[in-house]
Amino acid sequence: MTRPIIKLAGISKYYRLYRHDFDRAKEIFTGRAHHEKHYALRDISIDVRHGEVVGVVGKNGAGKSTLLKILADTLQPSEGTMHIEGRVAALLELGASFHPEMTGHENIYLNCSIQGLGKQETDAIYDDIIAFSGVEEFIHRPVKTYSSGMFVRLAFAIATHIDPDILIIDEALSVGDGAFARKSFDRIMDFKRAGKTIFFCSHSLYQVEALCDRVLWIHEGRVRAEGAPATVVTEYGEFLRMEAPRAESMEVEAEGDGEVAEKPVTVPRVSSATPRIVDIAVSVDGHRARAHKVLSGHSTLDIAVSFDPGQGLPLASVGIAFTGGDGRILSSLGSVNDGIALKLDAEGLGIARVQLPKFPLLKGNYNIDVYLMCEQGLHIYEAVVQAAELNVEQKGLARGLVDLPHTWLP
Amino acid sequence: MLVRVLRNLRDGVAVPLRACIDHASLLRMLVRRDLVARTSGTLLGKLWPALQPALQVLGFWFLFDIVYGMREQRGNDFLEYLLIGMLPWLLLSEVLTRSSGLFREFANLYRRTPFPVELLPVLIMVIPGVVHTVVFCGLAFAFHGPLAALQSLLVVPLLLLWLLPLTLLFSVLGVFLRDFAQGLPFLLMLIMYSTPILYFPDMLPDGFRNWLWLNPFADLVSVIHATVDTSTIDPNAVARLVGLWLLMLGPCWAVFRRSVPHVREVL
Repeated sequence: MTRPIIKLAGISKYYRLYRHDFDRAKEIFTGRAHHEKHYALRDISIDVRHGEVVGVVGKNGAGKSTLLKILADTLQPSEGTMHIEGRVAALLELGASFHPEMTGHENIYLNCSIQGLGKQETDAIYDDIIAFSGVEEFIHRPVKTYSSGMFVRLAFAIATHIDPDILIIDEALSVGDGAFARKSFDRIMDFKRAGKTIFFCSHSLYQVEALCDRVLWIHEGRVRAEGAPATVVTEYGEFLRMEAPRAESMEVEAEGDGEVAEKPVTVPRVSSATPRIVDIAVSVDGHRARAHKVLSGHSTLDIAVSFDPGQGLPLASVGIAFTGGDGRILSSLGSVNDGIALKLDAEGLGIARVQLPKFPLLKGNYNIDVYLMCEQGLHIYEAVVQAAELNVEQKGLARGLVDLPHTWLP
Repeated sequence: MLVRVLRNLRDGVAVPLRACIDHASLLRMLVRRDLVARTSGTLLGKLWPALQPALQVLGFWFLFDIVYGMREQRGNDFLEYLLIGMLPWLLLSEVLTRSSGLFREFANLYRRTPFPVELLPVLIMVIPGVVHTVVFCGLAFAFHGPLAALQSLLVVPLLLLWLLPLTLLFSVLGVFLRDFAQGLPFLLMLIMYSTPILYFPDMLPDGFRNWLWLNPFADLVSVIHATVDTSTIDPNAVARLVGLWLLMLGPCWAVFRRSVPHVREVL
């Protein structure tokens, strides 16, 4: 058993509240407390070992970001002790220390200095940073002339090339758009494969469960649960459903890092840099439409997704979610999860076909969302929300959401 | 209590100094950043920090020597007296004014990155310190020759060291007493007029001159003049300056250190 690389013992963070602004100055100059405490984080104790991927979940305002900032050393804890071994890279506020008047070249050296790298160490990674960010042509221009995409690419490249021992990620598993989003996702996955310690805070419970070895659920500044992802994520998901069924369930699942469209997007038949959905065909009993009448337990649902596979990338995977009117995911299926390797058709398009005989959902209105994802089913290239609408009717008086397969025994 | 006072006194110098050594590479980059921020978009670029004091010297020479014909006053070279006192004052004024906005100016760095805040008071001294050293030594050489220039090398670094407690204090006041930053230019002007910079000390009426020892800036100017013209330095003035510095440093450092978490919350 390796010793902890991160050791937090009784860490709390409070913000000081004062009756009058002047009380704060009085406190600073006299050293006597004049404040009341408002705790953002309370008594957090956790040991993280080398190579662990720790997920952090919790509602907005629960204290997740405060915890990440403390780990990133941009916020000091008010109480408790903290021991962190090794270099930390935080993908929190990328490019925050960039000076707009300085060139990309100068900002690389400035940022690396802030991260504790000397000139020689920076020299050693300089070319890799530029190559990764793809801003070579503009590297001697002030970053104020960069597009937002170039800016974030350079900032991400710097943050991830300083060879951190610990990586802190807030929300997105990728940055930028298009091909760079995939590239940045691969970079983060490389850290995981290399056995680096990762703190990943996200509202996407799917990604947390898929990626993490352990999950912390922070609620009102305290650790409410900690343990195996499946257990904690389920517990947290239940909590969200109890607390605010509509708002949270949409928050939970809609926050992917890919592009979200409301309708299928038709792209030109030129292979693009990143995979794109070309067509989604939803048919009920052989009839293709966007809105369907479905008979529960009888109708056969066919979904076919064709997609541009992109250039030089492993073939993408497809995920399909059935959501209720409140946005909550009722069921989902994915090619990765089912161990299905998708194939290309004669025209070079990726094809995913799935059939659901005897459609099992009971009466109600449902939507079908389609996700085009990386081969690991983690990085979302494109999401099409409400790709089709289903109005399910049923025979009989069965209640609930789903007709469970069953047999009455004599 | 005494241990705490002594520790604060030691840390007031040791912590910023250690930060400069530990983060030498960062300090170098920040100085570069500072230079870029001050000169970007200008035609003369990095020449400006040096040009500013040089042009001020030229302006004073034109006004007092050419226009007013005041080169000689009471048997002394008034222009020399004025410039030797005024240049350090300009440096002092620049550093203290900037220190009052220090935390706001660099908020992006220490709020969003793991940044050693104790570098900041030193950072704002580097460029003006280097420039003023060069210009000041040049002037000392022009007026009194190489020995004076050599001795003058010490003036700016020692002045900046003496200013350290005030820099620490002003940086905190600038955040938590917003009126302070507004009133600071006026305060500095008052101090300048009550300090023998624009006039010889013996031009003051006796009633004022007898109380001049209460003004530490008058001591500063007197020591600087004595250093440059290689005359005898008033040991009482030095003792008062050192004593005041020792008195200020510990409490100012304690206030600065205590203020850092507050600054992160407020800004």
